[in-house]
Amino acid sequence: MSYDQDLMETASGTRTSSGGRSAGSGTGPGSDEDELLPQLVAHLREHRTKLRQEWAERIQSSGLLHAMTPQEMTAETTSVYDNYVEVLETGSVEALQRYARDLSERIIPRGVETHEVVGIVLLLRDVLARSLFEKYQRDFGMLNRVLDAYEPAANRIANTVAVSFVDERERVIRQQQDSIRELSTPVLPVRERLLILPIIGVLDSERARQLTEQLLTGIRTHRAKVVVIDITGVPDVDEAVADHLVRTVDASRLMGASVIITGLSPEIAQTLVTIGVDLSKMDTIGDLQGGLEEAERLLGFSVTRGDGVSGP
Amino acid sequence: MRSGNEPDSPAQPDITSLIPLVRRVVGARVHEATVAEDLVQETLTRVLATAPRVEPGLLESYAIVTARNVVSSLWREQDRHRRNQHRVVDLRPPDPPDTDLLASEEQGAVTRALAQLSERERHLLLAHEVNGRDTRSLAGEQGSTAGAVAAQLNRIRARLRVEYLLALDNAEPPTDRCRPVLLALSGGDRRRQREVDAGRHLLECELCARLSSPLLERGRQGRDDEVCIPIHSDGDIVAARQAARELAARLGFSRTDLTLIATAVSEVARNIVRFAEAGEVVVELLERPRPGVRVVARDTGPGIADVEQAMRDGYSTYHGLGLGLPGARRLMDEFAVASELGRGTTVTMTKWRRR
Amino acid sequence: MTPGPKLVSILRQGPYLIASVHTALDDTQMTRFQEDLIEQIGRHRSRGVIIDVAALDVLDSFATRTLRTIGEIARLRGARTIIVGIQPEVAFAIVSLGMSTGSLETALDLEEGLTYLDGPTWREPDRARAAR
Repeated sequence: MSYDQDLMETASGTRTSSGGRSAGSGTGPGSDEDELLPQLVAHLREHRTKLRQEWAERIQSSGLLHAMTPQEMTAETTSVYDNYVEVLETGSVEALQRYARDLSERIIPRGVETHEVVGIVLLLRDVLARSLFEKYQRDFGMLNRVLDAYEPAANRIANTVAVSFVDERERVIRQQQDSIRELSTPVLPVRERLLILPIIGVLDSERARQLTEQLLTGIRTHRAKVVVIDITGVPDVDEAVADHLVRTVDASRLMGASVIITGLSPEIAQTLVTIGVDLSKMDTIGDLQGGLEEAERLLGFSVTRGDGVSGP
Repeated sequence: MRSGNEPDSPAQPDITSLIPLVRRVVGARVHEATVAEDLVQETLTRVLATAPRVEPGLLESYAIVTARNVVSSLWREQDRHRRNQHRVVDLRPPDPPDTDLLASEEQGAVTRALAQLSERERHLLLAHEVNGRDTRSLAGEQGSTAGAVAAQLNRIRARLRVEYLLALDNAEPPTDRCRPVLLALSGGDRRRQREVDAGRHLLECELCARLSSPLLERGRQGRDDEVCIPIHSDGDIVAARQAARELAARLGFSRTDLTLIATAVSEVARNIVRFAEAGEVVVELLERPRPGVRVVARDTGPGIADVEQAMRDGYSTYHGLGLGLPGARRLMDEFAVASELGRGTTVTMTKWRRR
Repeated sequence: MTPGPKLVSILRQGPYLIASVHTALDDTQMTRFQEDLIEQIGRHRSRGVIIDVAALDVLDSFATRTLRTIGEIARLRGARTIIVGIQPEVAFAIVSLGMSTGSLETALDLEEGLTYLDGPTWREPDRARAAR
């Protein structure tokens, strides 16, 4: 391999409009930006009412934010506009992130979609860009420089807002998922040294992981010797689900607990065996009642024998 | 506290009553049981030595403060250790010569380095640095933008640093990979460093390993989100997985995830010990696109003939080629192996933090 | 050479050996531990061995395999081996790694391990049921 100097120049020297300052290459703020941004900001402040109005119309005609009332819309657009200009002015990343987070937090509970948020910010960018075109159309050189200063800053805002919105949304979703999961997979101590884990709902790998972790901790806390996992409430027990179960059984066993699986119908068990799932490691019993009886038997059996022999 | 009432034995106050307290203070800060125990012992020794001079009623608080100090000095030491651990190859700093000689050598090196730049580059750099012209006026001259000129200047500076170091060392790079690697390091461009596989090159090329030290120092200031552990013997496997666990813990990974990460590091580090002479494990915290930890294990061993086969081992049999790679892959979120026969293997794996 | 007392301790209790691993072992130390333990099983004609790994925060493929090997060799010498104290996270990591753990006998902790050695094998009731 050879690394030609010129090749490197083109590879790393390509200037992307949004990466100019944030790429971390240490590029200091160009003096152009320092000089032009205040001018730009002044212009945007001066024409605030008109530009904001124009933006709101564009939002409406694009069918965005239809979940909001006109009053809410006015309030939101005004605040977003002012913050936008402020971020342009200060160029501070913290202010930008704060702004983006604030926007997301307010807007997510109203059921606003990702494309809408990105959409309105891009619309604002374009509305402002257009007004810059108008102002400087006579002086092409100047227009170019103004846009050079404006575009990276505007793209950075759009980018940060989008990322922050998605982050915030994911956080909210995860929070909800977590609480649902906790509700749906309780580890129940039935009696001394016996746990029941009724699983209800789809068992994907993320949930299986969480469930296994919870069970293993539960085994230690309750010093459980037998665990009954009831999968009556799990639809579509397939190879993947069986695989998760096998691992859960193995891990529990490493902590010294036996696992009984209940609620696996004979038909499904048959299917699993046919496709090559090794059920021999799993102790399966048709229904929960039978599973509990078996568990008691295991516990009783081991307790009597243990007591009988280990006496001093 | 009973110690205060025993006037006869000032040299032997009731230290034992302090043990649970000290243990709790240390235990809250240090989770490694053996390390914690060592620190407890050290604290008690110190307290014992100073006890006669401490007012009886204050012994307890004195012990607490001492315990805290002992813990924080351990942290400082670990931190220092971590910072200095980052190169596999021995770095031999040149003997400090006479100052005059040094100055003239440096000047000569700068001149020679400048001579390596193109006419255009030299002109641009001098116009900016010496004549103090701003990027904007230079941009006008070039028909370019201020930002582009600033980026260009940065690259030229990075290049100048590399040429300067080469000139100072009186060395000509032995391979055609050296310059691109050094440039990527000098510019602090991590993406580029990955593209040219800088880490691997530093393992293989002694000159670059030596020169990279001053270049890395520049970018490393204030950066403690990366650890590099040289791997030579099986004791290093334990060190590597402990370092990985410690670093990842700072990101708030769950205990389970920390264990998965540590286990995966153990597997890939063992590969280095078994199949290669030398290598390193680099653990790095990531912020983007999400918080996570990336582990890169590279060695200068014989390489893997059939990577696909090495990855295809049966799920439960585990034996196969016995490389532990499929196992490590199952523990992490992302996993990639690059191997070249005769040159070595690089395993890159990532775990993202769940929330 | 035997592992120093700080890394591992092997105590004799009646017909049993109780081995506690106190700190992370590297591969050499692990292998030494295996040899030492096997040697002591032979010397004391132990009927059972308990290995307490509660202090270990990682059991990777090598460590797990070594424990398995100890169990198998001990069995050939007439002793049962019970691994006790595997932490929840460690258990999770072992199965995620894909290690086969079938031949390992385990119990929650030392106390359980002793009860276990004194009683019948835990899996016997399963077989009894299957035969029913």
